Amino acid sequence: MKYDVLIIGGGLAGLTCGIRCAEKGLRTAIISGGMNSLHFSSGSIDLAGYDEDGEVVKKPFDQVKKICRTRMDHPYAKAGLPVIKKSMDFFIDKTSSAGLTLNHNADMNHFHITGLGMLKPAYLSQESVFSPRGLEVVNSREKIAVMNFKGFRDYYPEQTAAYLKKNRIFADREIVLGEVSLPWYMNTQKNLNEFRSTDLARIFETEKYLPRIAEEIRRAAGDATTVSLPAFLGINNYRAIRKRLEEMTGKFIYEIPTLPPSILGLRIDHALKDSFIGHGGEFIAGERAESGPSDSGMLEYINTRNTGREPVSAKFYVLATGSFFSGGLTSDSQKIMEPVFNFKVNADGKRSKWYSWFFFDAKSHPFLSYGVETDKNFNPVNDRGRTVENVFCAGAVLSGYDPVREGCGGGVAISSGFACAEKITGELKK
Amino acid sequence: MIKLENISFDHCIKCTVCTIYCPVSQATHLFPGPKQSGPDSERLRIKNPELVDASLKYCTNCKRCEIACPSDVKIAEIIQNAKWNYLKINWFRPRDWFMSRTDFVGSIATRMSFITNFVLKLRAVRVLMYLLLRIPYRRTFPSYESSAFENVFRKEIAPTQKDYEKRVVYFHGCFVNYNNHALGKDFVKVMNAMNYGVEIMKEKCCGVPLIANGYLEKAKKNAAYNINSLQSAEEGKRIVATSSSCAFALKYEYSSFLELDNSKIIERTDYATRFISEEFLSGNMPKMKRLGIRAAYHSPCHLERMGGVMHTLNVLKMIPGLDLVVLNSECCGIAGTYGFKNENYEISQAVGSRLFDMIHSADPEFVITDCETCKMQIEMNTNYKVLHPVTVIAMALKEK
Repeated sequence: MKYDVLIIGGGLAGLTCGIRCAEKGLRTAIISGGMNSLHFSSGSIDLAGYDEDGEVVKKPFDQVKKICRTRMDHPYAKAGLPVIKKSMDFFIDKTSSAGLTLNHNADMNHFHITGLGMLKPAYLSQESVFSPRGLEVVNSREKIAVMNFKGFRDYYPEQTAAYLKKNRIFADREIVLGEVSLPWYMNTQKNLNEFRSTDLARIFETEKYLPRIAEEIRRAAGDATTVSLPAFLGINNYRAIRKRLEEMTGKFIYEIPTLPPSILGLRIDHALKDSFIGHGGEFIAGERAESGPSDSGMLEYINTRNTGREPVSAKFYVLATGSFFSGGLTSDSQKIMEPVFNFKVNADGKRSKWYSWFFFDAKSHPFLSYGVETDKNFNPVNDRGRTVENVFCAGAVLSGYDPVREGCGGGVAISSGFACAEKITGELKK
Repeated sequence: MIKLENISFDHCIKCTVCTIYCPVSQATHLFPGPKQSGPDSERLRIKNPELVDASLKYCTNCKRCEIACPSDVKIAEIIQNAKWNYLKINWFRPRDWFMSRTDFVGSIATRMSFITNFVLKLRAVRVLMYLLLRIPYRRTFPSYESSAFENVFRKEIAPTQKDYEKRVVYFHGCFVNYNNHALGKDFVKVMNAMNYGVEIMKEKCCGVPLIANGYLEKAKKNAAYNINSLQSAEEGKRIVATSSSCAFALKYEYSSFLELDNSKIIERTDYATRFISEEFLSGNMPKMKRLGIRAAYHSPCHLERMGGVMHTLNVLKMIPGLDLVVLNSECCGIAGTYGFKNENYEISQAVGSRLFDMIHSADPEFVITDCETCKMQIEMNTNYKVLHPVTVIAMALKEK
């Protein structure tokens, strides 16, 4: 099979790269072994959340600029500030044409609220999490209602409220708790406690029960002007549903991400896949890359689980297999490896140095910044020490940054994926 | 005893991603979803088979859960196994027996095809089938040919294939054998245009409907027969099937689910578009004329599961003048014999509804898909004619 670009990994980085390549008219395929980790994410995109001292960053692009100047191993420095800016605009544009609006706070960070009630800085969020109107409501200092659906066990509003109270922004705000009961729904033998976020999102999607739910919200929230619900206001038509609910209740509806599966993340995943397929990309789900020879400094082809006799080949390859969670990096008791091609990995040799003794260490865990070593073009090095020139690496498989401590996982995935696409289109023009 | 190879449920991290993508869970809350029915409950069933849950019967075995799983758990296999090993299922199931005996029913139906096709359209007969056999009244049946493809092949086609130096073994499957000779003939035409002769071996139903209806012993017998027959084909000859589900069974289910040794045929067996794609890429491409057709492509579940969609897309993209709209992957809902049963009919239609909407909004001239039951489902629910990729190539071939 001869593709222009073959991307291994269908997550945030792989899809961003794929959309850009397909848009440029390249024959692009993504092979994706299992669904990506957007299904486990908050659905907000962080660009640069915290600085070197762990302080919240207000202007993320200033922080990115600083990183580009000072830390040459950081993926941001390799992508460069202009490409990073362009990639963010590109991302907003592509998700928006797929029907998902992502807002930013005039290029400044905003906070989104986690299920535990923590505030996390982010650059982009969906309109139920950040919008100019939402900002007004937060600043209005009026009453907030934190609500849940009766029987839903993947979210506890008491915890959200308790942690919000500890934050100075919300310390003197009145926060009330409330429960909305699920309308009688279909002729199901299922116990309400078994409903997960997707089940509830599907009930919302029918739009049948909205008046009833709106009525219950109005009653339980009283005079609160803002109502937070666990994020399941529908998957594909959530904008229309949220608008209707806001009209019917007269309240600002906020969404808080739940335990997986995260509907907020799912919406981004769906928007990106729609965009990729809409641009003519081929998304091959359930296929896993297993190996490929790159001794000559060029990756010749890859073997996948199903291809057997006839391997898959392309002019360029992008490795976007993610970090440990997604299987892009693995470890045994001795060392950390990149399992598909055995590319060189940046990591401490000693296992005892991989992690910190404290789970919530403010300095984070060293293993979070491990990953494939790349040169300034995102090209990796194979096990013979040769740079592989037709392979580019993007996203969490990269080394040189800590997505948790720096709050930059989303930004690195999008900008490095985009940067790889730009490099490939540049190479093909030559 | 727990068989070591069957502990893939241990890799489940409870992320519930499979349940998001389960077409049945999307259509009804009666099915608790692949995570709960598969890996969650399996550990209980292993301890005590009495803990089996009747909701397992909602699973269509489409395998989209396995495609979605980030941890590579064989979810659908776990469910299929549990369904037939633990559920106490009534032995007297005339409908399921007939539906899964495609060879038996097919050979009788083709012998009196004129009557069969007439009778199957009669309202009274359909009411009776609805009442007695619990087959949905609104479901349309494919019409039967007047003889089996294998007979036609031996009589009319085989003599013309002797001149070819290179040959492939064609696994036609029941649908071509009893219901759709045209596809078999198109396949021969395409192979001949690529300078391959075609031969067939003795074959029985691949076993997919038998597995789906719980006749595992009979499925094993058929599988052993097919393995035996196919591996006696001359060394080096490729075995090609035009049904995606047949190919999936021959290559994967025979070994992983029925636990038979198919190692001698696995490497040389392929679904048609993969073989054709390889030949096209190596330069063996017949002369084709511009088609000037706009078509929508729907990818069947089992083809996705075996990673075959990329080959079909590759072949279709190389046909000149074929304007292709690739539909976002969705299950059509019929799942073989599943949609032919009263108790599943509404779920089956609900699952397919999103695909039908997508087809309508794509507004093509034809729909292309690889699977015969997807074809039945789409043709019944939309006004579009559904073509097999091989047929589309045959349409594009320049007449000699």
